[in-house]
Amino acid sequence: MSADVLAFWSLAVVLVGSALAVVLTKNLFHAVLWLALALTGTAGVFLLLDAEFLAAVQLLLYAGGIVTIVVFAIVVTERLVGERISQTSRRIGAGAVVAAGLLLMLVRTIAQQRVPDARPEMAADLTRTIGETVLTRFVLPFELLAVLMLAGLMGAIYFARPDD
Amino acid sequence: MMAADGILALAAPLLHALAFLVLSVAFPLRRLGRPAAYISILCAAGAFAAALLSARAHAGETISRLVWTWLPSDGGTLATVGVLADADSTMMLVLVALVALLVQVYSLGYLHDESAPALGRYYTYQSLFAFSMMALVLAPNFLQLFICWELVGLCSYLLIGFWYQRPAAARAALKAFWITKAGDVGFLIGIVLLWRHTGTFDLTEMRVLAENGAIPLAGLAVMTFCLYLGAVGKSAQFPLHIWLPDAMEGPTPVSALIHAATMVTAGVYMLHRTSWLFALTPEVLAIVAWVGAFTALLAAVLACVQNDIKRVLAYSTVSQLSYMMAAIGAGFSAAGFLHLLTHGVFKALLFLGAGAVIHAVGSNNLTDMGRLARRMPHTATVFTVGALSLAGLPLFAGFLSKEEILGAVLAGGFQVPFAMLILVAFLTAFYMFRVVFLAFFGAGAPAAAVARGAHAEAHVETVAEGAHAHEAPHAHEPPASMLLSLWLLALLSVAIGVYFTFVHPEAEFESPAWLMPLGVGSAVAGIALAWATYQRRAIDAATLAAAFGPIYRGALARFWIDDVFERAYLVVLLGFSRLIGWIDRYLVDGVLNVLSAWTVTAGDDLRTMQSGRAQDYVYGVAVGLLVLLLWVQFG
Amino acid sequence: MGLQAYLTLAAVVFCIGLFGVMTRRNTIGILLGIELMLNSVNINLVAFARYSGDVTGMVFTVFTICITVTEAALGLAIVILLFRIRRTVTADQLDLLKG
Repeated sequence: MSADVLAFWSLAVVLVGSALAVVLTKNLFHAVLWLALALTGTAGVFLLLDAEFLAAVQLLLYAGGIVTIVVFAIVVTERLVGERISQTSRRIGAGAVVAAGLLLMLVRTIAQQRVPDARPEMAADLTRTIGETVLTRFVLPFELLAVLMLAGLMGAIYFARPDD
Repeated sequence: MMAADGILALAAPLLHALAFLVLSVAFPLRRLGRPAAYISILCAAGAFAAALLSARAHAGETISRLVWTWLPSDGGTLATVGVLADADSTMMLVLVALVALLVQVYSLGYLHDESAPALGRYYTYQSLFAFSMMALVLAPNFLQLFICWELVGLCSYLLIGFWYQRPAAARAALKAFWITKAGDVGFLIGIVLLWRHTGTFDLTEMRVLAENGAIPLAGLAVMTFCLYLGAVGKSAQFPLHIWLPDAMEGPTPVSALIHAATMVTAGVYMLHRTSWLFALTPEVLAIVAWVGAFTALLAAVLACVQNDIKRVLAYSTVSQLSYMMAAIGAGFSAAGFLHLLTHGVFKALLFLGAGAVIHAVGSNNLTDMGRLARRMPHTATVFTVGALSLAGLPLFAGFLSKEEILGAVLAGGFQVPFAMLILVAFLTAFYMFRVVFLAFFGAGAPAAAVARGAHAEAHVETVAEGAHAHEAPHAHEPPASMLLSLWLLALLSVAIGVYFTFVHPEAEFESPAWLMPLGVGSAVAGIALAWATYQRRAIDAATLAAAFGPIYRGALARFWIDDVFERAYLVVLLGFSRLIGWIDRYLVDGVLNVLSAWTVTAGDDLRTMQSGRAQDYVYGVAVGLLVLLLWVQFG
Repeated sequence: MGLQAYLTLAAVVFCIGLFGVMTRRNTIGILLGIELMLNSVNINLVAFARYSGDVTGMVFTVFTICITVTEAALGLAIVILLFRIRRTVTADQLDLLKG
């Protein structure tokens, strides 16, 4: 149990720290790398929640896919601009106040709720259960998701196509 | 049988209403003038017959009450309309019908020169007035009474302003309307308060309550005082008496009907009809008596210095109405009512006689008249009959009723008002015979010069010597239609006088034996003084005026009451208007301008929020979410 | 560790992401903030699924991850397109929503 707590807290520190770095660092490229760390931290959180499959998906799709795409986009735009894109922020004070206020209220709301502290027993092989559920109960959304991703793929290609 | 009698009484106002409707709807007929007048007179004659018959039917204790529900309220009836015919109301009905009929006949001659449409308009108003007045007289409840009260006020306004092209007439009409309205506000408040207090508008029901002692006395005095305020306005009591002399700007027959015999007596009549209610509040009755006596004296003094024959009669009317008020205030309303009836007859006679003189001379001014008796013997005779009646000499109409009032006031325990009224009796005889001698007999110009007032005093001597008696150049007897009305009223005055001289009705109170000689004596003294001053010229009128210096000058200025009203009007109403104007301009408009300016500025400021940048909208969403959470948590 | 700890962690990450969305000048930076926010949602979904013993939440996480990736790809495509048209990636200058 104490190992769990220790893991959670260390993951939490990593996650929050890297997230802050994402929104505060000036270098856009560094920000993307910090995001990759944050996404990896999230994968660790998924592991703590016994969702090994999701952790894997997170690492593969997110940390791999998104970071690759973003880096690609940065490179493309920087090449088009012909200079290094720096990342600056505006209205930091107001944004911080609103975000902090929202956080305060959210935490307050969460603290007021009676939520379970104990984890119920679940199937030993969660990955198998997820796969079965996706292909039985949620088969229609799953197929629609495939259509959506195809449409997104085509849309992205269409948007990003070179000028005729 | 009872219902039939009630319908008979109802027929009288309805006939006038019929005439009014026909004349107002069929406007081509109205514009023909004379045919319209004939229709109106025909209906008036029918109404008079109906009134006479219903008076005969209700002479004793018979009371007919015909009511129809009018305003339904949940579970009952709020108000009714109909007629309440008893001995008093039908007697009043006869008076109204009679004077209305005679005045309408008389007007045919008097308004001979009017254009046809104006004549039609005149008779339409006359019919409306007669209908309203009769419905007022027969009103079974306060609500109908009030509505008709306002209707007669409207007709008064319309008829005073009949010659609306004349600024003085238009002003007088407006003045009459406003001043009486001031009293009517009190009247209306009184009616509503009374309704809250007793739960009914109905006179009969309220009387039963009053006689059973079922009306709580607390606060009742305020209500009766409010009712009295209505009578103060309508019956020209001090300080609201100022409209009546100005009302003389209307045609003389109108003055005879409305401002002498009927409408102005509505206040007295109303107090008489509700005397059982006023009996519960003796303190208000005392006010009525004192104000009545004071107004009587005031108006009598004012009447003595007027040059305009109609204004003399107008102040005389104020004075006589106040006489009736004094009797009612003393608690003997029957005496006041009796005087109301006799006064209605002889004052109508006086006004119509004055009208005949004005018609002949073409002027209201006493200085333009003199020695008319030779040219107009009929008019002179009937006018003298009227004057004798007003003075209250035996064998003439005012005789008994005046003594009744004096006795009533004395029996009511009002010694000072009684003394004032005796003085008024003397002054009444004096000013009436001043008019008689100046207009019909007299030696002419000297008297006329005096009558012009204090400013002319230096002028007097030069004119007095060798001045010829002035005679109106084209004075002639009035046409038959006017003479008929005059003689009928004169004969009626004498008949009433003779009747009361020999037949005394049972009095409600004991009068001392010296009362009647005193009353008659003061009247005779007044006549004698007028005779000595204006006929024999044994006493110089200027000396007489000088003897009463301050009073005389005050009276010439109408005791500044009109000025006070005018000043009050200027200060209060105009000041109030200015205040309202200021509030409207700077406060109301200011607030609105500031609001609109704020709206414009706020719009300008809010517009910048619409930056078009998606980020700003996210910002807005976040703030909105924060506010929502705060509201849920703390709100 | 109870559910509340995970929810709080997700809330912290969410607010950091929101802060990024609100303050970043660069459109790509804004997209990064959105990714963080979506990530925190995923944490919530998984945590609720685990603590209620229902696998549905995890299935939905799979879906959201897929949709998020699609969204990221599309979003970056749009950024590149915008850049081509307006020659900028600064969000301040992208005020096309203005009427």
